[in-house]
Amino acid sequence: MNAAHHLPVLAIVLPLVFAYLMPLFDRWRRGWCTPAALGVLAVSFVASLAMAWQVMTGGPYYYQMGNWPPPWGIELNIDYLAVFTAITMTGVSLVVLVYASKDLLHELKPHLLGWYYTLYLLLVASMVGMALTNDIFNLFVFVEICAIAACGIISIKSNKECLEASFKYLILSTLGSGCLLLAIALLYMVTGHLNFTYIAQALPEAMRLYPYNILAALALLLVGMGVKAALFPLHVWLPDAHSSAPSPSSAVLSGLVIKIYAVSLLRVLYQVFPADIFEVTPVLNILLWMSTLAIIAGSMFAIVQEDIKKMLAYSSVAQIGYVFMGFAIVDFFALTGGILHVFNHAMMKAMLFMAAGAFIYSTGVRHLSGLKGIGHTMPVPAVAFAIGALAMVGIPLTNGFISKWYLVLGALHDGQPFFAAVILLSSLLNGIYYLPIIVNAFFSEPQGRVAAPLPLPRQMQVPLIILGLGCLLFGIAPSLILGLIYRASEALLGL
Amino acid sequence: MEDLILRYVSRIVVPFVQLYGLYVVFHGHLSPGGGFSGGAIIGASMILYALAFNLAAGTKKISHDLSLILESSGGLIYAGVGLLAIFLGANFLGNMVAGFPLGTPGNLFSGGAIMLITLGVGIKVAATMITLFYSLIEEEQATDEHH
Repeated sequence: MNAAHHLPVLAIVLPLVFAYLMPLFDRWRRGWCTPAALGVLAVSFVASLAMAWQVMTGGPYYYQMGNWPPPWGIELNIDYLAVFTAITMTGVSLVVLVYASKDLLHELKPHLLGWYYTLYLLLVASMVGMALTNDIFNLFVFVEICAIAACGIISIKSNKECLEASFKYLILSTLGSGCLLLAIALLYMVTGHLNFTYIAQALPEAMRLYPYNILAALALLLVGMGVKAALFPLHVWLPDAHSSAPSPSSAVLSGLVIKIYAVSLLRVLYQVFPADIFEVTPVLNILLWMSTLAIIAGSMFAIVQEDIKKMLAYSSVAQIGYVFMGFAIVDFFALTGGILHVFNHAMMKAMLFMAAGAFIYSTGVRHLSGLKGIGHTMPVPAVAFAIGALAMVGIPLTNGFISKWYLVLGALHDGQPFFAAVILLSSLLNGIYYLPIIVNAFFSEPQGRVAAPLPLPRQMQVPLIILGLGCLLFGIAPSLILGLIYRASEALLGL
Repeated sequence: MEDLILRYVSRIVVPFVQLYGLYVVFHGHLSPGGGFSGGAIIGASMILYALAFNLAAGTKKISHDLSLILESSGGLIYAGVGLLAIFLGANFLGNMVAGFPLGTPGNLFSGGAIMLITLGVGIKVAATMITLFYSLIEEEQATDEHH
């Protein structure tokens, strides 16, 4: 037995195993829940880093489940994009879980903590699975696990808003799953394969024979993944779901869950569908305009919000637009920017939601105008919020600048300066709603509950500090992660 | 509610239903059905028992704690069989390559690890149905007492 060879499957299965163990720990050894959940996510994170090292030194490789070779068995594809996504998912979810271990004691009934960890570990396992899998039906299974677990971590608070929001999410994401399943069925019908590599080989021939089936599959795939990733006209479930959920859930839902669907769509569009289908149908153009609308409209909606978490949720609608824009401009730099933004936005938005959660934890204030002077009484979350907000706007020295820089570079390089202008305009819009909060936080006198907040536990401060430093680190030294992303984009574009 | 006919009939029917459920689970690799359908049948039999008598009688047969343990252990059996294959030197969920004895095709003892996996799935599904049922009923009783 050679553990290094089995890392991909361990990164998925160990969180799953501990998800099953959590209810038992919760019943008889409640003290073990938090360390066990943190430990297994740490193992998963280390496994992802080790896989990245393997891939960077030895090149991408495949892992066959049960030693069954590809057309029959399920295969995991450990390539550059997969390890990048796995690192993002496990790393950020580990940091968020540290925060959650204290925050949830205050937001949930105590007997629900173990069940929350179950859902959380299922969610992470499914996201790592979606990142690594090379089998389209396996992808669907992970999508389903992810959708159920995501609904669970919203509705676990069981007040009226959470239940309503998670029900809405459940219905719409089931609609998305239905579309996805139909798309998979259509692809399987015309190609006879479920493995990405084999579908990709069979599709050029099948496209000549059954063009409409494949176009329908493409459309269904776009809608299915679009609903789940909250791409602009399909985003209606997101603001309620992400603002009413417990803060750690919001952080992981906004930071990670919507991204994983975007990455899966990217993989299917670039690696499964033949490049000439994009000459027949303007799919990438549609995606480009939807993302443009998302960027502008998401920011517009965010400007008029009064509730801090609702504002952050609408900001996610805009930010997922950047990711899709990077994917839709077929250009090396834009794709790099889009993939990089998955990582950067995961850190920024998780940090912003956790900072907002810290404000709510200590003061109970959710209203933006009520947070004046919070920088004086709660410096750590306020500074973290400021770093996150500056990164959202795209100020140099923060990581948000780097990904926007690459997106603008890509748009100009591809000869579409209009989209570069869209990104610049949206940075201004981001400034309109983020900067006043920072100014109010640091340059006003604290009043009311803000003047005397409850002390913030250390477990809730450390994740904010880690992610804050991370945002600055990857803004100053982006090459730490860019090497991996360059290779991922090269592989996707076939350079 | 005391219903003599319902209680008598379910007392007779439940063992047969459970036996059939076990049959479906254990023949998962030979005939239609398997862990999920067999587990659902076993779970339904327990729900029928608890409905015909009452929750107290049902929990005397399988307590909420026991169903919780079974639910988790079903999933753990599945994952454990997969991980065992890794320890035996194959990939995750490896069957013959990991050295599980295959038996004679068509016999009950055939298919190697598949039978263990369907057993895990069966336990998981049956226990999940029972746990869900108990949770719903207990929630209902809690809110009734609350009002």
